Amino acid sequence: MNALTTLVVLGQVAAGEVGSGRITGGWGYVWVSYGITWGSLALYALSLWLRRPTKNLTAGPKE
Amino acid sequence: MFVFTTAVLPLLILVLLVTVGRKFAHVTMPIYALILLGIGHFIGLAVAPPDREMGDVQRIMYAHVPAVWVAMVALTTNFVCSVMYLFKPGWKTDSLAEASAEVGLVFGAVGVLLGAIWGRPTWGVYWTWDPRLTTAAILLVAYMGYMALRRFVEDPEKRAVWSSVVGIIAAVDLPIIWFSVKWWRSLHQVQSTPKTVDPAMQLPLRISAYAFLALAIAFIMYRYRIALAERNAEVALPEALPTDEASAKRTPGVA
Amino acid sequence: MSRPAPIGLLRASMVLLRKDLLIEWRTRARLNALVFFALSTLLLFSFALGPDTKLLERNAGGYLWLAILFASTLSLGESFRIEAENACLDGLRMAPADARAIFLSKAVGNTLLLVLLGSLLIPVMVALYGVKVVLGVEHVLATLVLGCMALAAPGTVYAAIASNARARDVLLPLLLFPLIVPALLAAAKGMTLVLQGDPMNQLKSWYGLLGGFNLIYWGLGFLLFPRVIED
Repeated sequence: MNALTTLVVLGQVAAGEVGSGRITGGWGYVWVSYGITWGSLALYALSLWLRRPTKNLTAGPKE
Repeated sequence: MFVFTTAVLPLLILVLLVTVGRKFAHVTMPIYALILLGIGHFIGLAVAPPDREMGDVQRIMYAHVPAVWVAMVALTTNFVCSVMYLFKPGWKTDSLAEASAEVGLVFGAVGVLLGAIWGRPTWGVYWTWDPRLTTAAILLVAYMGYMALRRFVEDPEKRAVWSSVVGIIAAVDLPIIWFSVKWWRSLHQVQSTPKTVDPAMQLPLRISAYAFLALAIAFIMYRYRIALAERNAEVALPEALPTDEASAKRTPGVA
Repeated sequence: MSRPAPIGLLRASMVLLRKDLLIEWRTRARLNALVFFALSTLLLFSFALGPDTKLLERNAGGYLWLAILFASTLSLGESFRIEAENACLDGLRMAPADARAIFLSKAVGNTLLLVLLGSLLIPVMVALYGVKVVLGVEHVLATLVLGCMALAAPGTVYAAIASNARARDVLLPLLLFPLIVPALLAAAKGMTLVLQGDPMNQLKSWYGLLGGFNLIYWGLGFLLFPRVIED
C-alpha cells in the first residue's frame, strides 16, 4: 500500500517536471548573434572606408 | 498581393538602384540596405512569433540564413569572374573577383559563427561534423587561401591568372565536398524555403535577405573600387607619376 | 630540310617523366626526405595518441593518409623547385611540346613517388600499430594509387603556383588541404576497410568516389595548368 502511494506521488511530481517541449528564454543567444552580425558588418564597412583609394598618385598601392 | 509586394518590390528597387540610379549607387545602396535591415530585423526581433519548439532562439535565423545565402551569391560571382578572366583577361574582372571573394568570406564567416551560436541551445553543441557544416568550414579555409594567394603574389597578371585557377578549382570542389560528406546522416535542418518556413516568419526573412543582399552589393562596390585603384597603381606607367622640373624634360622610357 | 614533326602529348609526357625519375633516382634526395618525414609522423601519432594500440590500429587508415598528406607538401614543392635552377621551367615551356605534357609528367611523377612512399609505410604500420591487412595487397595498392593520384593532380597545379609566390612553404598546404578533403576522406575510409575488413561491401562505393574525384581533378588540372605556367 505504501509502495503504491509512493509511486503515485512520484508520478505526479514527474508530470509537473515535463515542460512544453519549447526552449524558454535564450534571448542572450539572440542578442549575442545580432550583436556579432551588426558589429562585424560595421567593422568591415569601417575597413573599407579606411582602405579607400586616395587621389594622391604618390601614395603606394600597398601600405 | 502581400506576398508579391514583399517578394518582388524590394528586388525591383534594388535592380533600379543598380541600373538606372547607377551614378548614385554608392550612396543609395548602403542607405537602402540599412533601411531594409532595420525593418527586417525589427520585425524579426519584435513582431514575428517565437518558434513552436525553439522559442525565441529561432530569431537568429533572420541573420544567419541571409548571411549564408549572400555568401553563396558572392562566391558564385567570384567563380563566374574567375572563368571569365581566363577567357577575356581584364582588370575589372579581376577586381570584381577579388571584391566578391572577400565579401563572400566576411558574410560566410558571420553565417557560420551565428550557426554555431544557434546550435548551442538547439542541438546542445556548438559544432558537429555533418555535411553542411563541414563543407562550410572547408569553404572558409579555401577562400582564406584564395585571399592569401592574392596577397603573396606581386605580379598583377600572374596574380589574376593564378587566382582565377584557384577560384575555379575551389568552386568546383565545394559541391563535391558537400556530396561526399553527405554519405553520413545530416543533423542540419532542411533548407529554408516558403514551403518549410511559417508564413509569419517569411516576411522578416525575406526583408532581411534583401537587406543583406543590398549590403553585400554595396560592400562589393566599394571593395571593387579599392581593388581597381590598386591595379591601376600597380600597372601605371612611369609618366603617370608626378614629376619634378628636371625629370619633366626627360624622354619617358629612357634612363 | 624537312620540318621535325611536333612531338605528341603522351610521348612528351613520357620523356619528361623519364627525366624527372632519372634525376630523382640519381640523388634519391626527395625519396629519402619523404620516407624519413613520414616515418617520424607515424611515430609522432603513436606518441601523441598514447600506448593504446587498439585505438591506433582502428584509425590506422586515417593516420597513414595524414602522413602521406604531410609528406606530399614536401614532395610537391620540391618537384617544382628543381626546375627553378637554370630557369629549367622556361626551357621546358619553350620546347615544342604541349605545356600539358609538363602537367602530366609532374603529376604522374608525384603520384609514383607518393605510392612508393605509401607502400613503404604499410609494413611500418603493421609493425608499429599492429594492423593486419585483411583484404589483400591488391586492394591496398588500388586504394594507394587512387588516393595518391587524387592528391598529386591538384597538388601539382598548386605547387606550380606556390613555387613562384612569396611564402611558398605556407601557401601550398594552405591552398591544397581544404580542397583535397573529400579525396582524403574517401582514401582514409577505403584504407580502413582494406585493413580491417569490409563486411558490408562498402569499398566499391569508396573506389567509385575516388575515381570520380580523380576524373575531375585530373581534368581540371589538365585544362588549367598551361595558364598557370605561361608567362
